[in-house]
Amino acid sequence: MIRLALRLTFAGGREALTRLALIAIAVMVGVGLLLATVATLNAVQKQNARYAWLETGYPGSNAPVATSTTGTTAADPLWWRLRADYFDGALIGRIDVATRGPKSPVPPGISKLPGPGEFYVSPAMAKLLRDTPAAELGDRYPGVEAGTIGEAALPAPDSLVIIVGRRAADLLQENGVRRVTSISTTKPNKCNGECAPGVGNNGNGLTLILSVVVAGLLFPVLIFIGAATRLSAARREQRFAAIRLVGATPRQVSVIATVESAVAATAGVVAGFGLFYAVRVPIASIPFTGDPFFPSDLSLSLMNVLLIALGIPLAAAVAARLALRRVSISPLGVSRRVTPRPPQPRRLIPLIAGIAELGYFAYVGNIGAKSHTSSNTEAVAYLLGVLLVMAGLVIAGPWLTLLVSRISASRATRPATLIAARRLADNPHASFRAISGLVLAVFVGTCSIGIITTIVAYDSNASTASSSSGDALLVDSFGGQQPASGNNVSVSTTTRVALTSIPGVTGVASIYDASGGIYQQGRPGQAASCAEIAHIPALGHCEPGAATALISLPLGGGVVSHQTARHPLAWLDAGLTTAQLQALPLDTIVVGTDGSTAAVERARTVLDLHIPNDYAAQTISEIRTSDARLLDGYRQLANVVILTSLPIAGCSLAVSIAGGLAERKRPFSLLRLTGAPLAMLRRVIMLEAAAPLAVTAVVSAGAGLVAAQLFLRAQLAETLQPPRLQYYVVVLTGLLASLAIIASTLPLLRRISGPEAARNE
Amino acid sequence: MSTDAATLSDGALVEARDVHFSFGTTTALRGASVQVKAGEILAVMGPSGSGKSTLLHCLAGILVPERGEIHFAGQRVDSLREAERSALRRDRFGFVFQFGQLVPELTAEENIALPLLLSGVRRAKALGEARVWFERLELDGLHDRRSGELSGGQAQRVALARGLVARPQVLFADEPTGALDSLTGEHVMNLLTSAAREQGTTVILVTHEPRVAAYADREVIVRDGLVSPLPSDRVNA
Repeated sequence: MIRLALRLTFAGGREALTRLALIAIAVMVGVGLLLATVATLNAVQKQNARYAWLETGYPGSNAPVATSTTGTTAADPLWWRLRADYFDGALIGRIDVATRGPKSPVPPGISKLPGPGEFYVSPAMAKLLRDTPAAELGDRYPGVEAGTIGEAALPAPDSLVIIVGRRAADLLQENGVRRVTSISTTKPNKCNGECAPGVGNNGNGLTLILSVVVAGLLFPVLIFIGAATRLSAARREQRFAAIRLVGATPRQVSVIATVESAVAATAGVVAGFGLFYAVRVPIASIPFTGDPFFPSDLSLSLMNVLLIALGIPLAAAVAARLALRRVSISPLGVSRRVTPRPPQPRRLIPLIAGIAELGYFAYVGNIGAKSHTSSNTEAVAYLLGVLLVMAGLVIAGPWLTLLVSRISASRATRPATLIAARRLADNPHASFRAISGLVLAVFVGTCSIGIITTIVAYDSNASTASSSSGDALLVDSFGGQQPASGNNVSVSTTTRVALTSIPGVTGVASIYDASGGIYQQGRPGQAASCAEIAHIPALGHCEPGAATALISLPLGGGVVSHQTARHPLAWLDAGLTTAQLQALPLDTIVVGTDGSTAAVERARTVLDLHIPNDYAAQTISEIRTSDARLLDGYRQLANVVILTSLPIAGCSLAVSIAGGLAERKRPFSLLRLTGAPLAMLRRVIMLEAAAPLAVTAVVSAGAGLVAAQLFLRAQLAETLQPPRLQYYVVVLTGLLASLAIIASTLPLLRRISGPEAARNE
Repeated sequence: MSTDAATLSDGALVEARDVHFSFGTTTALRGASVQVKAGEILAVMGPSGSGKSTLLHCLAGILVPERGEIHFAGQRVDSLREAERSALRRDRFGFVFQFGQLVPELTAEENIALPLLLSGVRRAKALGEARVWFERLELDGLHDRRSGELSGGQAQRVALARGLVARPQVLFADEPTGALDSLTGEHVMNLLTSAAREQGTTVILVTHEPRVAAYADREVIVRDGLVSPLPSDRVNA
């Protein structure tokens, strides 16, 4: 029987081959997208793994600071310091190392440790050093280039990384130096305890992002593949009736259907792998995580390959068998089970449960922003709720479709509305299936954009004061820490001259910590010289006659903060003499510039060389960029999900509509013969897709906004802000694209409903 | 539409004059001519592939002949635009085909009312007029059934009701009993002819079964793309 099925599949004439090719092409596109999605998720993990070595020396990694006990291992200790450096807003990973012997551990990507006066650089960093005047960048890294850091140590092809060899005696004069005997292999999301700040993606964020992306992308892809394997189902069933007529048993017909579907799906899967490898390099260049991937990171595990290569044909075969169960194929023809059980209102339960769970955690359960619940618990709780809402939308969709169709049918006065409504009511499951991908895309998009909009709103509130300063202020903050040398930090005359002699630098201000003694509640906790403030307009100005002033630096308020902008007309007099001021601990050095890259980078280089600090000096823009990394993650998430799932869902819709048209070829053509205008049939097709799409889009958008509000409430203790123009543009674009896809199938209607289709067969 | 009988032969309501039609290289009609009077029931007979259905489609304005003329109620049909021919079919003609003509998602009642809805009749009125046909065609209790829930004979009677509900001037029936057993077929033909005569509807019936053709007032035969009257011995039989 299998042999016969294969013969029917391949030698069934042009029509059979065309059907096979159509299904295979659709499965190829679906599998290509599925593989790209899975490989991208793998790449995110692999990219995160490339950050592992930067966790070296942190207690949360598997290569913490070596104690004297651990120092007795075979490896020679290595002095290690990780620092963030910046150039023109771009982050540079700088690792200073000083070896204590030939057996010191070597980080990945290089064959040996750089000696004093040597450094290894990533290819992008090497190019940047070559293209930039030394005073702006190269002078920060004294020495010569000893080699290039290999891919193994680079999170992305354009990563800026430098490993600088130092003399131990020099390095130990600086803060943050750690003694290690091994290199970390702990991924940032697996780091348990104190971890390198700002390195890679942490566990919660990654889990949340990946889970939502998986649910948001894989579901539409699987729906698309399912729709593709059901292409031409009606035509196939007629053929099966003919086979039954010559004596085939229902079981044999089932085997033939299974083999046909599996063959088409297998061909599609093979082609899908080809498609994936063809588009792998362009996909790798898309910065889904904020950084591009190495093409080799977009790879598939053996389990991925096996699951997809075997699972899709298997699923197609099972789907074919199940599809045949819905119809009765007798030797005299195909009769459908015309009264499938209508969906029940209880289908709303998961959706309500999901929203209720999120609501409980947001308003009743004490987890999230204002509690001590572990962030992992928060992520799991929220994720569960979001996934429940997504599943709830898919489960409730058919019932909502039925509801809309029944209301429409009872009130329809035009034949197009009546036919469309009856068609929807006839099989709301199938009708909703065609649009479920779009519905999920709308939900995920709405939720993401709602969250982003709110975060942006609060962030912009917090940093209004700094928006004008942007790149003009270079801030070197010491936070009360003293250097390892034990000397007090101060701006020497030499340093001041070096800074002010840079073209574009307007002045240098030392900001002192005034929180001890003169600080009063509600007043700024820092103090500075009014003479110095006067040279830096972005810092504001002092009260007339004041020699020193209490000041607050406009650093913004983080990702989300209730801190409001403070942009005083004049800083209050601190009442200190210059001598008293200089006796206070130095908190921050602020360099005022004209905002040009040359001025900022030269000033940063001078500060780095003259007053080494744990953290490199940053412009206000860079500080804000750093704070907004989480925001970028969400933005990328929303973009990926919306931009990828909409076309996939659109393809499913087009395939479903084309399939539905083919099924109703004869009644539609006969309707046309009896005088029904083509425009009426077009309206039927548009209504059948657009009506449930509009209703469920509204419901999923509403659910998305509710989920966003509950997320913001539970995780960040914020209130949802109304979505802005971007949201409406995205949703409108999605809906218009869907309508365009539906419209693209309409020429098919004219062709299939022509007079020849009505002729007796 | 004016009824300019002067352009028609002997008061015919529908007429085909020297109609030619081909499907690619296959010639279906090669000079077919036929006239049908108002209220007449004409059976068009012929073997499979003789061109009888093509002739019916040409008469109904579904197909446009390559040569020749089609007239209906004094109007040249073959020179009308597609939209005008559609309107003609919708407003003046009714159709019954062999099978598969019901919209599967609609109930029997809605299927019958469909031509009225297409003509802009209000829903309640259309459904009301549709209901009248249930008793008339012995379809009581089947209002809410869909096509898949009807037997072949029931579905064909629903189709017949749909073809006649808008009180068309001409009912085109293409093998209306072709998918039915002989007993059910005769039942449907009885209902079709009695309802048509009651309404004064002209019927053009395509069939290859003499038993079905016997319900007609007159029979013609299509052979090799030409129409000829049935031999007198057949008529007498």
